Amino acid sequence: MVLAALLAFVVLCSHDMFLKLDAYHLQPNSKAVLQLFNGTFEKSDNVIDRNRMLDVSLVGNGKRTAVDSSNWFEKNDITFLNFTTGNEGTWVAGLSTASRDIVLKADDFNAYLKSDGVLEVLENRKKTNTLNDDAVEKYAKHVKTIFQVGDKLSNDWSVNLGYPLEFMPLQNPYDLHPGHNLEVRLLYNGEPLINHFVYVGTDATAKKEETTHSHDGEAAHSHSHDNSEASEHQHPSTKQFKTNKEGIVSIEINTQGTWYLRTIKMIESADPKLTHESDWATLTFGIGAGHNADHSHDEVQEHEHGADTHTHDASTHTHEAHTDDGFPTYIFWMASIVVLGLLFFWFNRKT
Amino acid sequence: MKKPLKPLSFTCFILLPSILLAHDVSTGDQAILDNGGLWSYIWVGAKHMLTGYDHLLFLAGVIFFIEGFKDILKFITVFTLGHSITLIGGTYAGINVNEYLIDAVIALSVLYKGFENLDGFQHLFKTKAPNLLVMVFGFGLIHGLGLSTRLQSFDMGQDQFLLKIISFNVGVELGQIAALIPIIIIISKWKEKPSYQAFYKASNVYLILAGMALFCYQLYLYFK
Repeated sequence: MVLAALLAFVVLCSHDMFLKLDAYHLQPNSKAVLQLFNGTFEKSDNVIDRNRMLDVSLVGNGKRTAVDSSNWFEKNDITFLNFTTGNEGTWVAGLSTASRDIVLKADDFNAYLKSDGVLEVLENRKKTNTLNDDAVEKYAKHVKTIFQVGDKLSNDWSVNLGYPLEFMPLQNPYDLHPGHNLEVRLLYNGEPLINHFVYVGTDATAKKEETTHSHDGEAAHSHSHDNSEASEHQHPSTKQFKTNKEGIVSIEINTQGTWYLRTIKMIESADPKLTHESDWATLTFGIGAGHNADHSHDEVQEHEHGADTHTHDASTHTHEAHTDDGFPTYIFWMASIVVLGLLFFWFNRKT
Repeated sequence: MKKPLKPLSFTCFILLPSILLAHDVSTGDQAILDNGGLWSYIWVGAKHMLTGYDHLLFLAGVIFFIEGFKDILKFITVFTLGHSITLIGGTYAGINVNEYLIDAVIALSVLYKGFENLDGFQHLFKTKAPNLLVMVFGFGLIHGLGLSTRLQSFDMGQDQFLLKIISFNVGVELGQIAALIPIIIIISKWKEKPSYQAFYKASNVYLILAGMALFCYQLYLYFK
């Protein structure tokens, strides 16, 4: 069973990596820009060197294409990739980086484990009484984004890019809208990763967080992954999930906008030069009002809608057109002609 | 009794295409919108206007009251301005109102127009009717909110969101023009006939009845 934590999770930072787009619904065969953020979901703190990009792939129309790294460019700490969309369908872009090492003082390491939600490792350090041990960590990042080109859905969203740590959605996000559930399987070295923390956020919570969050007295730590300079920022509020025995998290989609999942899998290293090895994974996608017209929202619908989305009861709209549940328009017009005719004869006779 | 039959059969002839065209706006429209790009929004907007009897009845009521092309243009422009503001603004801002309640208010606008055309304010309340231009603008805002609610009942996706709304609005205007042409022809042709007074009274009493019926019907759907 997936455990969904009710409490929002405000964390201090290291550097998560996200592949993002300004708009997740694109026109076929048109120019678009992928953005690579390294920092938090809403703010990139630094760019990524080309030689660290082990794999950059675009998958669409049943084909995986390697992206030439020379197509990337940088601006304002964000790495950009110009590309041209292909034919209609659901597309995936992925990027995997080569690993790097980082040396961390014990306190910084503990703070980062706590703030980034690597709670199993932190718990283990407590149990083994190694909280005071400094760390040398090897880490690599693997990011994916799913976007929709045109209106026609395709199966490319389910592609396995073969990254060491990878989110695999079990439904096409562009076939969903608020009120649906999205199941995502987490694979670690190709196998489902069970009982593992996953953090889920949206751009809506990120924006809200920008205006409402406080640091709550927590001390910001200054270590960072992938950054030459110290950074003191926070991840936005996310919801904490745990994968079930099949490595799946089930997420209630309750708002439109951009959604993201992030997780870190860390193990103790067998390499004498290292203490830990970690893989970081994120997945982003957009949720619109919905795509599929075939489903209806009636009383037998299984899902419930969150309070911040529309509900499907008598007080709100349904996806069935209003006139569907009334009488046909032609009956109205025929009845109108009869009534109008009778009234006309009545008044004409009087005059 | 032969004389009135001519204009009546003329009415039936003019209305016949409307009857045949009177498809309901249905879930089939969603498939059109999913596959047809911006043109499909124009088409569905026009279709909604042509089959949306409440909008047409209100417009017919307005046309009854005014004379001359200049006035028609003035009132229709004000109505268009009103419904475009709430259609585009309401949809873009995601303002959702209950579709049955807004349609009930639109039904009241039909009732209002019939009542005003029959000089109901003078007869019943011994007072002058409110300024029609202001009322038409106000009702235009309400009709636009109804159109917006309908548009929001479709899955529009996120790309070209504003363009889709504008396209739907353009469709509404085209549908409005297509509907107005026969309405204006019927009313202006009938004005030359001796039976016009009977037609005028019958039509406006009908607007009151239709407004009441639609109002009750929408409330029934709301409470159902």
